[in-house]
Amino acid sequence: MTEDTHDETLKQETLERILRESREIRGVSLWQDAWNRLKRNRTAMISLVCLLLLGLLAFLTPLLPLQSPIDKDLNNRRFLAPNLDTVVMGSRPGLKFEGGTLTGELEKFRASIAELEAERLSTEDPERRQELQQTIDARINVEHPFNQMWNELGPLSWWMCQLRVRLFGDYAIPSLFGTDKLGRDLLARVFWGARVSLIVGIVATLVSLIIGVSYGAIAGYFGGTVDSVMMRIVDMLYSIPFIFVVIFLVTFLGEDSVKARLDAMGIDQITIFYIVIGAIYWLTMSRVVRGQVLSLRTEQFIEAARTVGASPARIVFRHLVPNVLGVVIVYLTLTIPSVMLFEAFLSFLGLGVAPPDVSWGLLLNDGVEALSIIDVYWWVVVFPGGSLAATLFALNFLGDGIRDALDPRMKNRD
Amino acid sequence: MRDLLSYLFKRFIWMILTLLAVYTVSFVLMRAVPGNPFSGERNVPPAIERQLKARYNLDAPPIQQYFDYLGGIVTDFDLGWCMGLEDYSVNQVLAEGFPVSATLAIFALVFAIILGVTAGVISAVYRRSPADVALMAAAVLGIAIPNFVLASLAILLFVFTIQIFPAGGWGTLQQIALPAFCLGLPVAAYIARLSRAGMLETLSKDHVRTAFAKGLPKRTVILRHVLPGAMLPVVSYLGPAVARVLTGSLVLEKIFALPGLGSHFINAATQRDYTLAMGMVLTYTVLLFVMNTLVDISYAIIDPRVKLQ
Amino acid sequence: MPESLSQPDAAPSRHGEPLLQVNDLQVSFKTDDSRVRAVRGVSFDIYPGETVGLVGESGSGKSVTNLALMGLVPSPPGRVDGGSVMYDGKDLLKLSPLQMQSIRGRRIAMIFQDPMTALNPLMTVGQQLTEMTRLHLGLSRRQANEKAAEMLELVGISGASRRLRDYPHQFSGGMRQRVMIAMALSCEPDLLIADEPTTALDVTIQAQILDLLRELQERRGTSIILITHDLGVVAETCHRVLVMYAGKVVEKSDAGPLFASPQHPYTQGLLQSLPRFDQVQTTLRAIPGQPPDLGNLPEGCSFRSRCPLAIDRCAREEPPLASVGDRREAACWVAEENANG
Repeated sequence: MTEDTHDETLKQETLERILRESREIRGVSLWQDAWNRLKRNRTAMISLVCLLLLGLLAFLTPLLPLQSPIDKDLNNRRFLAPNLDTVVMGSRPGLKFEGGTLTGELEKFRASIAELEAERLSTEDPERRQELQQTIDARINVEHPFNQMWNELGPLSWWMCQLRVRLFGDYAIPSLFGTDKLGRDLLARVFWGARVSLIVGIVATLVSLIIGVSYGAIAGYFGGTVDSVMMRIVDMLYSIPFIFVVIFLVTFLGEDSVKARLDAMGIDQITIFYIVIGAIYWLTMSRVVRGQVLSLRTEQFIEAARTVGASPARIVFRHLVPNVLGVVIVYLTLTIPSVMLFEAFLSFLGLGVAPPDVSWGLLLNDGVEALSIIDVYWWVVVFPGGSLAATLFALNFLGDGIRDALDPRMKNRD
Repeated sequence: MRDLLSYLFKRFIWMILTLLAVYTVSFVLMRAVPGNPFSGERNVPPAIERQLKARYNLDAPPIQQYFDYLGGIVTDFDLGWCMGLEDYSVNQVLAEGFPVSATLAIFALVFAIILGVTAGVISAVYRRSPADVALMAAAVLGIAIPNFVLASLAILLFVFTIQIFPAGGWGTLQQIALPAFCLGLPVAAYIARLSRAGMLETLSKDHVRTAFAKGLPKRTVILRHVLPGAMLPVVSYLGPAVARVLTGSLVLEKIFALPGLGSHFINAATQRDYTLAMGMVLTYTVLLFVMNTLVDISYAIIDPRVKLQ
Repeated sequence: MPESLSQPDAAPSRHGEPLLQVNDLQVSFKTDDSRVRAVRGVSFDIYPGETVGLVGESGSGKSVTNLALMGLVPSPPGRVDGGSVMYDGKDLLKLSPLQMQSIRGRRIAMIFQDPMTALNPLMTVGQQLTEMTRLHLGLSRRQANEKAAEMLELVGISGASRRLRDYPHQFSGGMRQRVMIAMALSCEPDLLIADEPTTALDVTIQAQILDLLRELQERRGTSIILITHDLGVVAETCHRVLVMYAGKVVEKSDAGPLFASPQHPYTQGLLQSLPRFDQVQTTLRAIPGQPPDLGNLPEGCSFRSRCPLAIDRCAREEPPLASVGDRREAACWVAEENANG
């Protein structure tokens, strides 16, 4: 063995040793690390669990044995305090349901439809058949007991309501949250309101996310003149008092003729809501994303990744996306609450979700109107307000938790 | 100084552009509504309708109207006549409502800054103490409860139950206090969180360690070395805070029945008084622009590294 | 590394009382899942007028040791668990916060690694320089300003009285470190702790700063603790050297003998890993392995797993710091055996 080859093997050994050592040091991925830290944050985890539960319950609302959220009872049930009295679905005399129950009425309705159906099948005359089919559809649309108990159910909700009747029959949870000024069950309304409030919060936030992220990413990615022009525009938009523009827009869009035109296009009030709110809240998001992208472009670790020969795809997905995603998620958890508050705010001004749809904002508005010193109907404020506040609490805590978890500088700051 | 002037000049140009954009959009929306505000609802005699149309310049072609109205605004700040309130010009309404709203907003903001910063600093300095936990819980509460709920509860509590504030009216400090408090509280909550985070961030900076190493008392370090840096995020929040206070005043003026711009605006919007609504949007835009400019300038004063551009 | 290592003048004779005596100092930090013992029983003395180098890898506890002297260990998560720091007949670790304030900056001053972040960006250099002298020396505003200008001149900043009105971002990195030094020395402290004062600077600026420190020391007789991981810097400036590894001092020696014949295998490794111009080398020798996890230390000598000389005893017992020659101590069983046997 010559000196040279000896040296070579020595080098080889050294190299292998270094490689072995570097394999032993296992990096914890950013997300794994963040998740571990988040798991230790008890408030954030409780918030997360509560929010998931809330989302699930809101989704499953039609399936739950709740009372009708829209059935009014002005004679006997106005402002009932929270109670445990048994309630039977469809027992209000005014409904004139067969046997005073929803199932009874459903049975009767089904029978009458079946009769028509039988008649339709037995007739030969196609015209008559068509006519009968139309009658059936019309009757289902108007007279079906579900349409007296619930408002404009979608196909999925309709199916879930049917399942609910099959599962629970005429049982309904007592008015644990009391009833409102029109005798409607507050518990059911809070649940149905949760659906609208959450949907408004989530969808509007997603709209703002899409606009904001693409706008910010484009500005940050191109930099230079494009960036400065785009950001100037954002600056300018920041100085517009959006709330007034929104009110302006909402009233304008609420104009009967405009409304009719929009309805014809299949756009309802809530959709307008998503778009309008999303269109305001994207500003901050675009700024945040742009700043992140801009700084990441010149960041040393991106250079480092490039020099060790990482492919562009790898750079984008391993380095850029995780870094941008962090701020985006944090910002999302903070936007949803403000959107939900905004919805409540517009509902209070009578410009938001319109009855018979129900949202937490609308419930709160009803509650505040019912507040008076003589009769303390506390439940009409406390339950919707509590639900809203608890949700916003949870979102805020979760957002804080995620931010702390994603920010490694906070690592040692408990 | 020249920096400042050229900055102000640029900001002014941008403001004009923004106003023009807002004006154009509002005008187009206004005109897009079918018919005119007087058709249909009331049966006005033709003579009066002619007069009305002349007053609102509705006979001219839309382009003509656009420039006429714009000309009025530019030459003598004339925002035209209200469409809803009879015999009121938009300027009159603004002149009446503005002092009320401005007083309310200023009280609310000052209150929010004092309360928020104090709470944030205490929270950060005594981090993880019961005081910190309590203050931050209160701050989250302040953020999570809608303004109008807070105001209604406050009325119930302070006006009816313990009767320390008058039920309504406007003018005395006592009458301003409660609405300003309700208006400022959510902003105070947000400022408290911002200043706490800012304090903690700055406390971990190297130069604060230097300050401690110099043997400065904790008080001095916090007041002189930590607080200014920690206030930077709060200062940048002041722009949005103004917007938020203006937004909130819509609700509070309605609840407390105050004769400010906010309640006029709501009325204008719901009664389709488009000239008034547009006049207000323009006014608010100017206000917000001025506030944002002031915020930028004060930021540059606190942080010498920042150049006004 | 400059080829001609200009050795500092011979160590000042260590007669009389030490200025500062550190005894069995222990500091730990709480992390997510354990308590990391960052400093594990460090003892050393500092005599008036000498420069002591504190050398070690990052994480060896050099900086934490000195933060503990200043009472600046960030708490939480840090905590001083034990030991004493005797200065002027008092244990600094037992002083009240108020008493400690009158020591910090006045009697013991500190300069930090990164001059870019160590100065307050929102205050003028003048404000930062004067607040200390006004507080500790009770100078009036004008006196303090004069003093500040004088100090800036001293550290080689021209146009000093004008530059007092400038903000830190208007200075270059080297200039800022000069400002830091001016600030640290403005109350004429007995001891200056310089925590990697040149690491963040260009090589040429590094040399200037070190020269400045040496010159100021000669002129004023201030003791200096120089924390660094750069042995070149040590060779150039220090009279004595403490080598730290995993929270302990593993070798104590005068600078000359240390470089001539390092006793602890870790010190040997450090010296071998230096590029040298006076020898032909084919490869640089790195010390194999990684420093141990301070939250989970193995039994026995903490350097064992990386040590080429390790014997059985090293796995069982942790070697104490023991004399291995004239005014030299090392914490190594092998070195001790060699010296005594």
